[in-house]
Amino acid sequence: VRDQIAKYSARLLADRSALPGRIAFAAQDDTLLSDGNPELAALCKGVLPSLSCLGLAAARPSLPFADFLVRRAPAGDARIVPRDTETRTFLHDIPFLRREELSGDAIGRIAKLLGNRKGMIAEGLGIVAGGTVTVEQAYINYSSVFHSVFVKYLLDVLAEGFLLPGEKEAFEEFRAGWLRPLSAEGLAFRNGPIVDPGEILAEIAAVGRHTVERGLVDSFFGNISYRLGDVIYISQTAASLDELPGRIDPVPSDNSSTAGITASSELLAHRRIFEAGGVRAILHGHPKFSVAMSMLCEEKDCPIKDCWRDCDKVRLLGGTPVVAGEIGAGGLAKRVPPVIAASGKALVYGHGIFTTGRTDFAEAFHAMVDAENWCRGEYFRRLAAKFPG
Amino acid sequence: MEHSPTNGWRGSLLHVDLTAGTARAETIPRDLLIHYLGGRGLGVRLLRKAYGLDPYHPDMPLIFAVGPLCGTPAPTAARLAVVSRSPLTGTVYDCSAGGRFAHRLKSAGFDVLRIVGRSPRPVAIAVTPAGAKILPADSLWGKTVGETKRALSGKGSVAAIGPAGENGVLFACIMMGEGNAVGRGGLGAVMGAKNLKAVVVDGDLPVGLADRTRFDRARQDVMRLFRASPVIFGELGISEYGTPALVDLMRQRRMAPTENFRKTVFDGSGNYSGPAIRKAYGGKKDGCHGCPIQCKKSAPDGTHLPEYETVSHFGALNGIDDLRSIIRSNTACNELGLDTITAAATLSAWGEGRGRFPNTEEVPALLEDIARRRGEGELLALGSRRVAETMGNPGLSMSVKSLELPAYDPRGAYGMALAYCTSNRGGCHLRAYPISHEILRKPVATDRFSFSGKARIIKIAEDANAAVDSLVACKFSFFGATLEEYAELLSATTGEGYTPQSLKEIGERIYLTERFYNCANGFDVKDDRLPERFYREPGSSGEGIDVPPIDEKRFEEEIGKYYRIRGLTPRGTFTDPGFLSRLP
Repeated sequence: VRDQIAKYSARLLADRSALPGRIAFAAQDDTLLSDGNPELAALCKGVLPSLSCLGLAAARPSLPFADFLVRRAPAGDARIVPRDTETRTFLHDIPFLRREELSGDAIGRIAKLLGNRKGMIAEGLGIVAGGTVTVEQAYINYSSVFHSVFVKYLLDVLAEGFLLPGEKEAFEEFRAGWLRPLSAEGLAFRNGPIVDPGEILAEIAAVGRHTVERGLVDSFFGNISYRLGDVIYISQTAASLDELPGRIDPVPSDNSSTAGITASSELLAHRRIFEAGGVRAILHGHPKFSVAMSMLCEEKDCPIKDCWRDCDKVRLLGGTPVVAGEIGAGGLAKRVPPVIAASGKALVYGHGIFTTGRTDFAEAFHAMVDAENWCRGEYFRRLAAKFPG
Repeated sequence: MEHSPTNGWRGSLLHVDLTAGTARAETIPRDLLIHYLGGRGLGVRLLRKAYGLDPYHPDMPLIFAVGPLCGTPAPTAARLAVVSRSPLTGTVYDCSAGGRFAHRLKSAGFDVLRIVGRSPRPVAIAVTPAGAKILPADSLWGKTVGETKRALSGKGSVAAIGPAGENGVLFACIMMGEGNAVGRGGLGAVMGAKNLKAVVVDGDLPVGLADRTRFDRARQDVMRLFRASPVIFGELGISEYGTPALVDLMRQRRMAPTENFRKTVFDGSGNYSGPAIRKAYGGKKDGCHGCPIQCKKSAPDGTHLPEYETVSHFGALNGIDDLRSIIRSNTACNELGLDTITAAATLSAWGEGRGRFPNTEEVPALLEDIARRRGEGELLALGSRRVAETMGNPGLSMSVKSLELPAYDPRGAYGMALAYCTSNRGGCHLRAYPISHEILRKPVATDRFSFSGKARIIKIAEDANAAVDSLVACKFSFFGATLEEYAELLSATTGEGYTPQSLKEIGERIYLTERFYNCANGFDVKDDRLPERFYREPGSSGEGIDVPPIDEKRFEEEIGKYYRIRGLTPRGTFTDPGFLSRLP
């Protein structure tokens, strides 16, 4: 378990979602152990015994967005409700405790919130997340909260501007210091077509790692596939894209075997894209600016309320089509394939982006980088236009 | 939120005494409903005064209990638990079953049907909102399940035993008319001992919801997660192929029990895989009342097609690769009222003992003999443990607490190995269902060849699933949804405030109650063991997967951890003899 704690502490640093020295985990088997920042470790150690959970993560996010969202929330609110797919599907909402609520029985209050949700925000302390089954799951839930908070804060700022003292300065620091130029520079891709199954598995694993390392996907979301003849090689469900060796399912196109039941929930979307013809590689990530921008719609007086599910329009973001559709069997597999062929890119409302390569992953990866860079640029352009100075 | 007697719970129990020939409705204290929910939990709580009785004692209750979500549009909740003490295992026993019976029982106005006593002659019970009538059933005695169902079909939804239950076969099941089984543990024999051939229920009373808006939102959340789950609605998932979708996966993972668990790969398994069944029989979608998943499959002529456990055990476990033979065996078990898993596993143990597994021609006659308790069937009707002991080779029985193991070899999933042993009803895969994370990667993957953390994981999952069995919801829902969404459904239905954590605490109460009953009946650490084969013999290694024997010392360490986490003694027992008195 200590190895797991070390591993996921390192991941929180590698993905830059938590501040160095402000990370702690606790885990319980027949004994309870904790590790990391002493204050947060004590918090974890206090909270975990009240929960039917194996692991708990607590960390100070590397960005102040969670605290800002708490402080921007109207008095009386006790949760934030991001509308991106990860939140809507898995988290539902994110409860929080304000700074003043953390005096007294903070451990009891945090435990109560975590008894009902996968993660929560404690203002001034950080994000606390549980993992029922593993320490990894606590990391995943932390990462999901971080992602949802990030996307919601981008959207809220664009909608309402800066409302709090120090907020604008922190945001500028985020833009100038935290954000890094995004590119595929320095990455090597195998030239396609790739015809050896062993090479395909190796390339999928390598590209999955690139996708995580360049910040195009968080935790264990995203998926990746390559088609060779009648077989689709696709990452497994709940597999981190940077840990894919041994976690790639070969799925026969004719469904003559169901061993691929563990394949990604987006298998159907991948299959339909392949069936449309012309591509061998598919990459799906959740780059944050793309996710945020996909949720901006300027349609007036639209009768559709559940845009993420029911909108049948195709919008364009810098040449990338945006469509609605839920995960898995929920519509995404129907709406993405018809629109992805023209540009090799398709954004799904509040969810993420699919990109394709005609022979290899280089094209798909570059397409995802380009789309995210466009969305990032467009976000800041719109923000400057709406709130000049 | 409104608190109404019809929001979720009826608050009503129908008590039938077959010795006296009487029936009366009783009020269930709301406190019990809140703390035990329904289904398994409520049924187990209602056994508190009877758990020490012999399973065949007239005073031993046979309890049919629905849950608070039954009768609502909550996905997969039209289920019930049947609770009593098992004649096969001697443990307290509950079985969850779907179909339409549970919905009808709730619609008749009752949360619980409790049957005690022994009728002097064969009877059936007919339940309607007016109460229960005890009907003569002499003409049905000896009939198959199908014949019984057809005879009673005009009166509502039927739960019936076949000849196996009448004849006291220790693994006789109770069949729902729609083909669902109260399968394991021999509760059909308990029913038969009461001279009760069938129960038929009918009603149309609606169930109220305390907060419709909240309920609808939670239901949408559940459905979204179902659609996001490759196991549920994925194109290779159980909605498409039924549970035989697991055949190929278990073959690929090299953990398909073969020839009485001597091997873990069966070369002929492709003949009865999900795609093979669909190709041969079409696989029309079928399922429980109101269930969106529809994992049951049927042939064009209406024949119910077998589940994963059944195809694998009538297949690989007996060295049979003929799909038609397997389907015939499944149909025979359904008609005779036999648990398919124990039937196939008992034949396999017996086959190994005599040096030859039964072939496709022998199986139908053997099943008939078991149900009629004649010829070889007289011995085989006792289940594999007693068969193996009689043959002088107890190691042949691949069972825990006399319940035969299903089709997941424990050498291929160490959490499963542990959970077989800690299960209160014996070698069952569904109590903690670690296959979910060890094989199907939900909610996240765990290392199937490691014991690390598994004692805690199994404890948490047992508690969660005890709550699930008390809602009563289908385990398959939780390949997608979680207790978060079901706690919302429950709160919105009943008007009480539940959270995932509070549900797991209820589950813990239920688990410990069962364990206390078992300990009082003599169970302890000696019963929490796998058959010796799994510690001594490897599985079928190959294709880069090594399947060694389970490290016995490490296994025992993990059992010890599990006891400490549960607050039990090193013998797996309770320190406080008054434990139950501290529970609601």
